Amino acid sequence: MKKTRRLTLCAILVAMALALSYIERFIPLNLIVPLPGVKLGLANIVTLMALYFLDIPTAFTVLILRCLLNMPFSGSVTALAFSVTGGVLALTVMAAARKIPQISVYGVSILGAAAHNVGQICAAMMLLGSGYIIAYLPFLLLVSILTGLVTGSAAAGTFRALQASGQFPSGAGSRAVPGDAAGQVREARYPRFSVRDSAVSDAR
Amino acid sequence: MTEKLRLTFRKGDVLCIAGVVLAAAALSLWLAVQALAAEAVSVQVYQNGVLVRECSLEQDAAFTVTGDYTNTVSVREGRIAITASDCPGGDCMHSGWISAAGRAIVCLPNRTEVRIVGVNETGVDMVIG
Repeated sequence: MKKTRRLTLCAILVAMALALSYIERFIPLNLIVPLPGVKLGLANIVTLMALYFLDIPTAFTVLILRCLLNMPFSGSVTALAFSVTGGVLALTVMAAARKIPQISVYGVSILGAAAHNVGQICAAMMLLGSGYIIAYLPFLLLVSILTGLVTGSAAAGTFRALQASGQFPSGAGSRAVPGDAAGQVREARYPRFSVRDSAVSDAR
Repeated sequence: MTEKLRLTFRKGDVLCIAGVVLAAAALSLWLAVQALAAEAVSVQVYQNGVLVRECSLEQDAAFTVTGDYTNTVSVREGRIAITASDCPGGDCMHSGWISAAGRAIVCLPNRTEVRIVGVNETGVDMVIG
């Protein structure tokens, strides 16, 4: 049952990430900032969700699956190489930043966005066999602060809604605090991050 | 619980932003220093990693680079740009005009790279592969 739940959750997260990647194509951010590779990174909300509410291996699984399944939409192997390099580097940095108590989801998101751009530039340098494309990086880094803030606030909002509906992060160290009676009661009532269609109505 | 997830803006986040800004500033400073060090510049156009054209920024010119798509490259008044392209996205066209050594315009779909190369620039530590 636990295995089935994890599988279902992964599938839902991958589907959400794919939908967000697709929606993102209709936001013409590169008309405002004409640089290759500029995007909001909405799918990163899902990666953050997997990282905060599930665990690092699941986050990696969802990320890789999302990149692979996104290929028919983007239609190129090049795009796959870019999203995998950027995504893996971003997730690695975010997983590390998540452990730092002084950094909130906003900081994690910004660092992730910046790391994603660094990864993409690295992939482009390898693809073109030249280092000249690094001239784009300063601008991309500045843009990543803004996109990181946007996706970070979206993630924060999502996490609040999830908590309000009684969902709990499953990662060690984020469990209900001993002595937090209300928390323990809620935890007993609601399985961690379970798929409950009545969860939202319960909270209201 | 909210505290554990840390959903509100914190001091560390400011440091994150500052770090990214600092990295961007340091990198652009390094690029600017390299551009200043160059006494003269020339243009190199690569398609799929192969040098297909080398020209000067002094003389106005226009030519096309063909790979999977076709880019039109224009040199005008000491600057260079990809002025037309049938690639999806068209980021290369939107990159605008460049003139400083070390700068480049890239069309990833067509694997085109327009580089401005400083003549006395060592550049060795920048080129990989």
